[in-house]
Amino acid sequence: MNLQNLPVVTKQGTRNDYSIMVYALSTCGFCKRALAFLDANNFSYRYLYVDLIPVDVKNAIKQELKERFKENVAFPFAVIDDKKYLIGFIEADWRSTLQV
Amino acid sequence: MMNDKTLEQTILFTQMVAHKQGWLLNPDKDFYDTLVEGLMQNYNRYGYFFCPCRDAEGRYELDKPAICPCIWSKPDIAEFGHCYCALYLSREFVAAGKTPRAIPDRRFEQA
Repeated sequence: MNLQNLPVVTKQGTRNDYSIMVYALSTCGFCKRALAFLDANNFSYRYLYVDLIPVDVKNAIKQELKERFKENVAFPFAVIDDKKYLIGFIEADWRSTLQV
Repeated sequence: MMNDKTLEQTILFTQMVAHKQGWLLNPDKDFYDTLVEGLMQNYNRYGYFFCPCRDAEGRYELDKPAICPCIWSKPDIAEFGHCYCALYLSREFVAAGKTPRAIPDRRFEQA
């Protein structure tokens, strides 16, 4: 996915086990919790607030995620190592997938 | 803009909805603050209180079902104890001391 020229934020933590990219909404409580979970567990990750970018770009990202993972796109949507994904924030699922 | 909503107006809106429906607002202050600020931002962006945890199209006719309180809030609160974004909770859910978690978005159930 080409994220060049988009306001992707990079967070640097001490855990670099995975490549984590989180698509989120700046207005959403569960998205905020998901990012706080990654921070609390010292993961390095990137995130993009898709509600703060142009609609056509956002829709292209959603379409690509939907086609790639065969899932409806809800937020937060985390892509891990370009192959696994997590949709929504259920802490137990994030712990399990990220082996926390 | 003159018609923008303030945080106070948005808080009042959520209080009125909760009161009318017999629901409680999320007692987790940090979570509630994020949602109410998100609701306010959505109103000031789109002109309506669009659900803060869903992605808006920015067109009223498409976004209408997810304008707060969304059309799925009642079945979600009945089934899961809270609405999709966990702004509104049932009294039973709060009394049991449960914590909201992400639930399926019924919007996708409509074929």
